Amino acid sequence: MTSKFKHDIESPLQKQNRHKAMEAIRIINTLKDDFKNPIESMNYFYKLFEDVFCNQKSLHDGKLKVGTMCIQIPSEIIYALDAVPIRLCNGFYSDDEIGSDYMPQKSCPLVRSTVGHFASGNFSDKPHLIYSPTTCDQKTKAGVTIESFGYEVVDVDFPRVKDSEISREYFRRSIREFAIDLSKKTGNKLNKKSLKQSIAKIGYAQSLYHKLCEYRKKKNIVISGNDMFFVTNAFFFDKIDSWIDACENLLKECKQREDENLFVNGKISPRIVYTGSPPIFPNYKVPIVIEESDGIIVADETCSSNRMFNDRVAVDEWFVNDMLDSMADKYLKACTCPIFTKNDDRIRRIIDLVKTYSADGVVYQSFAGCTVYEAEQRSVLEAMEKEGIPILYIESDYSPSQGGQLTTRVEAFIESLKTRKRIKK
Amino acid sequence: MLSRLKRTVNNVNLIRFRNIIQILTFILFIYGGYFAIDLGSRLPIFACPYNDTTSGACYLIPLQHQLSMPTQVLLGGASIAVITGILVFLFWFVFLNKAWCGYVCPFGTLQDWMTKLRKSIGIRYSTYTQHQFEKLSKIKYIFLFIVLVFPLLMGVGLLGSEWSAAFCKICPARIITPMFSGDFSQWAIDFSSKTAILLTTLGVVFAGLFFIGSFIKKRFFCFFCPMSALHYIFSKISIVQFKKDGSKCTRCGDCYAVCDMQIKDIADNVTDTNILRDDCILCLKCIAACPEDDVLHFDIFKIKAFTSTKEGFEKRMGIEYLKANNDK
Ligand code: SF4
Ligand code: SF4
Ligand code: SF4
Ligand code: SF4
Ligand code: SF4
Repeated sequence: MTSKFKHDIESPLQKQNRHKAMEAIRIINTLKDDFKNPIESMNYFYKLFEDVFCNQKSLHDGKLKVGTMCIQIPSEIIYALDAVPIRLCNGFYSDDEIGSDYMPQKSCPLVRSTVGHFASGNFSDKPHLIYSPTTCDQKTKAGVTIESFGYEVVDVDFPRVKDSEISREYFRRSIREFAIDLSKKTGNKLNKKSLKQSIAKIGYAQSLYHKLCEYRKKKNIVISGNDMFFVTNAFFFDKIDSWIDACENLLKECKQREDENLFVNGKISPRIVYTGSPPIFPNYKVPIVIEESDGIIVADETCSSNRMFNDRVAVDEWFVNDMLDSMADKYLKACTCPIFTKNDDRIRRIIDLVKTYSADGVVYQSFAGCTVYEAEQRSVLEAMEKEGIPILYIESDYSPSQGGQLTTRVEAFIESLKTRKRIKK
Repeated sequence: MLSRLKRTVNNVNLIRFRNIIQILTFILFIYGGYFAIDLGSRLPIFACPYNDTTSGACYLIPLQHQLSMPTQVLLGGASIAVITGILVFLFWFVFLNKAWCGYVCPFGTLQDWMTKLRKSIGIRYSTYTQHQFEKLSKIKYIFLFIVLVFPLLMGVGLLGSEWSAAFCKICPARIITPMFSGDFSQWAIDFSSKTAILLTTLGVVFAGLFFIGSFIKKRFFCFFCPMSALHYIFSKISIVQFKKDGSKCTRCGDCYAVCDMQIKDIADNVTDTNILRDDCILCLKCIAACPEDDVLHFDIFKIKAFTSTKEGFEKRMGIEYLKANNDK
């Protein structure tokens, strides 16, 4: 009679959507409700994630959507060609489960869940084509698997030695090829004006992030690390103009909160620098445990946040090729990803973050199966020890089951930092 | 108040500031003679006395003359003159060091103008490979050898008088700078001796190369300039210093990307605090292009006179401008 009595059989796709929505909403609600002094303007981001991940709302209808497998593809070029970049790194456990059928058992959950996402083809904004820089083995191989699902995947040559002049030349050429390829596919030509404008726009977006970070340097903190991860993760897929507006509002509110003494940290909440495998929505397992145990993430060195926004393109002569070269340099040279042969830059960066943000300790997360982060753990730990910076190394994955043991370790670490602080006082 | 001033300085639009200084100093050194300005002949720049309206002159010509004096004269009666000459030169040099190159030397400015011309036509610059760079940038020491050792050899009688001021004969500034006061007479080959033919021919060739080279390559001649090598030798005693705090450097390469002299160390070296290299012309473009706070700085009397800041970077790269656009 009425639909009330009709029995709907859930399709596998709907079922997966339901599961993902559940995963997503749990995190959104945790952030919304579980922490003290919530920030009003964060609601934009909570809603955005809910729209996209729970309600499958598309944000970029009518645009060419260009998927990227890592931060090393300059979004400046994609915008200049009137397309939208969508970063495909994925954080859903539901997708991880699907992806494990396609990738080796021991591969990293980020890669598995990215592959799983493609296997299900369940996108709110499905990318039309994908650019995959040849970074770590798993990512490069994932590209091949994704291609087998019928997607167009273009490899972007990426060198794994970053100091040499050869690499620099190599990547400059690679970026030029990428620009030519995308230009053909969009049917638009790269011109000076549009490229310059998009460099300025991305630069401006970055500057907002930097301004937000200024607040995190202060003694009392107005914005939590988890909220910051929300903000930076949103950059993966949001409309850039809306993202910019939302950040401007957030900045205004931060100022206001500072004037009103509304802070998220307690009296001796340890200040944490976060590094390692990137926290990607909704896999905020470790960051949430940190902040629930009264730690406060003041800075991070991850490609889903700080690394993505840190360095900016500088151009001397504003010709298209000059801009492309500068971009290539910036994306290669400044990157502190562990896929590179040497990692001194990453260590220097972490130490610098600890100093400028007056952090008390470092949490280093590595996804189980992410060889490069696992391999670098040793040298980073040694370097921190040398500097007298306490560090906790955690291996984690996307499964919800790890909770208890993880919480205990993080809590113990935070407690020890607190004790240190008390003694110092 | 002081912090406000600092901020204004760090946010300066360096390109415009430099353009203005360069135009003013070009006029001063090329035409200063008309206004009876005389800054002596011990300047550490290519303000060539062959241009008879110059207001001050390049030190290399007196230096070569003095060094070529017979040894007894050089160590005897002339020694005072030689020493005061060097001291005056050192004074200028201590005062601005390589910033003479980036802001004052008319020959440097001329090259920047060639660059502007190329840019206005829409042609992109070329660069050397790192390998070429390493080789070419040594040439200036060969020239420096000609400047310093040839005159000494003359003094002891090993070289004849036709070698007098040998470097000036091949120096393109001798031929080019007088042109600006309407004197084209230097575009000639001196047939008085085989050596003279050789040297002056080289001079004309270099002058021609100067125009072609600096059209294609930014600051083409400065790679080879012996004055630049001299500057470098004494750079430690200057009141101006060029410093880097490597702990904050991300090695993003922005500074390297904008450097006219392709100095790779500026980005890659994170251990030396003194980052002045022999090719540097202290144009400070790298500081202007560095997106990190306080990594590169130019110091006068150990005080940071110009330092890299995020805000300054944003201003210069036109990032603020966009905000105004967004607000519309
Ligand atoms: S860890 Fe490195 S390779 Fe992986 S997504 Fe981040 S930047 Fe790219
Ligand atoms: S290096 Fe260039 S700017 Fe400096 S003195 Fe020589 S020619 Fe002039
Ligand atoms: S010819 Fe060259 S080296 Fe000689 S005085 Fe003139 S500028 Fe100086
Ligand atoms: S621009 Fe600044 S941060 Fe980047 S490499 Fe140069 S000195 Fe380092
Ligand atoms: S290192 Fe800096 S100051 Fe020196 S030439 Fe290069 S850009 Fe100019």
